[in-house]
Amino acid sequence: MLEIEDLCVEVAGKSVLDGVTLHLPPGELHVLLGPNGSGKSSLLASILGLPPYRITRGAIRLDGVPLTDLPLHERARLGIGMAFQRPPGLDGVSVSAFAEALGAGETLAREAAALDLTDFVRRDMNVGFSGGEIKRWEILKLFLQDPRLMLFDEPESGVDLEHVIAIGQAIRRMVRSPDRQDRPRAGLVITHTGLILRHVAADCAHIVRDGRLIHSGDPQTLFTHIQTHGYSVPDAA
Amino acid sequence: MDDMTTTAGALTNAERDILHEVGFADESTRAGTSILADQTMRMALSHDPGVEILPLAQALNTYDFVQGLMFGLVDPEENEHVRLVAEHMHDPLGHFIWVKPGAKVKLPVQSFTLLETPQGRQFTHDITLIDEGAEVEMLSGSAVPASVRKGRHISIGETYIRANATCRSVTIEHWGPEMEVHSYGWSRMEAGATSTSTAIMMSPIRHHASHSVSILDAGASATSQAVVFAPEGTSRVLASEARLIAPGARSQDVTRMVSAGGVIENRALLVGAAAGTEGFLGCDGLKLTDAGEIRAVPSLSALAEGTQLSHEASVGRIDGEKLAYLMASGMSEDAARDLIVQGFLSLSDDQIPASLRARVAAMVAEAKSGGM
Ligand SMILES: Nc1ncnc2c1ncn2[C@@H]1O[C@H](COP(=O)(O)OP(=O)(O)OP(=O)(O)O)[C@@H](O)[C@H]1O
Ligand SMILES: [Mg+2]
Repeated sequence: MLEIEDLCVEVAGKSVLDGVTLHLPPGELHVLLGPNGSGKSSLLASILGLPPYRITRGAIRLDGVPLTDLPLHERARLGIGMAFQRPPGLDGVSVSAFAEALGAGETLAREAAALDLTDFVRRDMNVGFSGGEIKRWEILKLFLQDPRLMLFDEPESGVDLEHVIAIGQAIRRMVRSPDRQDRPRAGLVITHTGLILRHVAADCAHIVRDGRLIHSGDPQTLFTHIQTHGYSVPDAA
Repeated sequence: MDDMTTTAGALTNAERDILHEVGFADESTRAGTSILADQTMRMALSHDPGVEILPLAQALNTYDFVQGLMFGLVDPEENEHVRLVAEHMHDPLGHFIWVKPGAKVKLPVQSFTLLETPQGRQFTHDITLIDEGAEVEMLSGSAVPASVRKGRHISIGETYIRANATCRSVTIEHWGPEMEVHSYGWSRMEAGATSTSTAIMMSPIRHHASHSVSILDAGASATSQAVVFAPEGTSRVLASEARLIAPGARSQDVTRMVSAGGVIENRALLVGAAAGTEGFLGCDGLKLTDAGEIRAVPSLSALAEGTQLSHEASVGRIDGEKLAYLMASGMSEDAARDLIVQGFLSLSDDQIPASLRARVAAMVAEAKSGGM
């Protein structure tokens, strides 16, 4: 579904991704692991087309469609959605006004309860939300958008253990079910703790370091490796 | 009790339609109604024993004390505009609204001004007295038919909110796009009085200068919010002053301004003249285009020790990060901008009577795209 070839990305004149190649087949969920500042969020942002990231080399394709020249909202309409790591607050824009603007008022009513956000529909988006509430809202937001390729930037960081279950289940429900047009979905998750993987199994993990994808392999094996050897290539350890 | 005074013919359906746009509802659903059109008071009536509404000229003859209220808060020589209105002091055009002591008025009281003649000139003087312990909700506004583009309107309003009275008000203004309007409002809030006011100024107008001065006595509390929009060709100057003259007086004034090519200047002054007073001024501006200008000038003057005054002002363009966040869900840039502007201008529902909320939301929605 998603093909990234030799991707190089700059931000503020500095290289943040350097020759990343990654393939994500339909129906799969992959994990991105890596130290702070290694380029994980930059990779997701580049897939979606968020400013100010600038692609200097390489290609990103969604089902064979090159994305690099498409503006942000067109990529979103092709079916890419992201749960942000740190979304901005939108004063005066309520969750329900946003859902209406997306034509997803009914979905909001249906899905808010599963993420324990029923009382949030009148609140302004991300304004005064606690850290964990923001994360739950970002997942709910994906339900409203119904994307096919889902990008999760640390969906469980700062979330209490009970709500991690709700988020994990919601992610599983989404990734493992077809979209409204009955197409399989796929997901890419950034996680530091791996907690989320207890609720939704990942098919593959990638280690990102200094803007490079240095290794890919079985998620559980890589987690165990990182806990003892840090973000390094297992063979070399 | 149905006490109808001085009407030179009932309102036409066309007039009702125009007024409806700025919050008018059939007089049977309001505690009282005052309608001024061109040079005539067309309606001055009340269905509520706690409310009396008279043309000001008639009120002067009916109640001696009204003379004391007229030019009680402003000198007739204050400036050339006030002088123009004062020339008609003997036969003023405008209303006198009296909410009687202790009256708890359930339905809103409404008052509107229509300018129906192209190139018309209107000089009006309104006096509002909310007597001790009374409670009322006031809806007011101005409107013109589509045929009126040019014209001149100068108004003076004097409002007295007596001790422990409560007034909640909403004003919606919709003048002609090439009109020149100068509006002056003075209000005096006595001890323990409470006022919550909302002003909606969204329609195009060549030049509108509004000046307001409020004086707050001990324990009086005023909360005001205004949303102001200026498309290209519109210039709005808002000058306001709140004087906190006795302990416990509190004022909170928040203005949000959007320029889509027009000019908005907001000069707000907060004076803390006694200990134990508290005031806040907020002015935020959003500029949608390179053209146009927003100038926010909040000033604070602490004349006494123990007064707490603060202000916040910001003027900027739409935040690119917010725009990207919305577009990341598939919204077009225009739709995302509209949502942000609408959010910026959104008013807190609890300050707007339920019956007006939909109308107000629609006005905000229209204005953001400059289509009004
Ligand atoms: N807008 C920007 N301006 C300047 N530098 C940036 C910007 N965005 C990212 N960077 C830099 O790019 C590098 C990669 O950042 P990125 O956010 O991708 O890291 P990350 O792997 O997601 O880290 P974390 O685990 O801390 O979230 C960092 O050094 C960061 O400071
Ligand atoms: Mg990150």
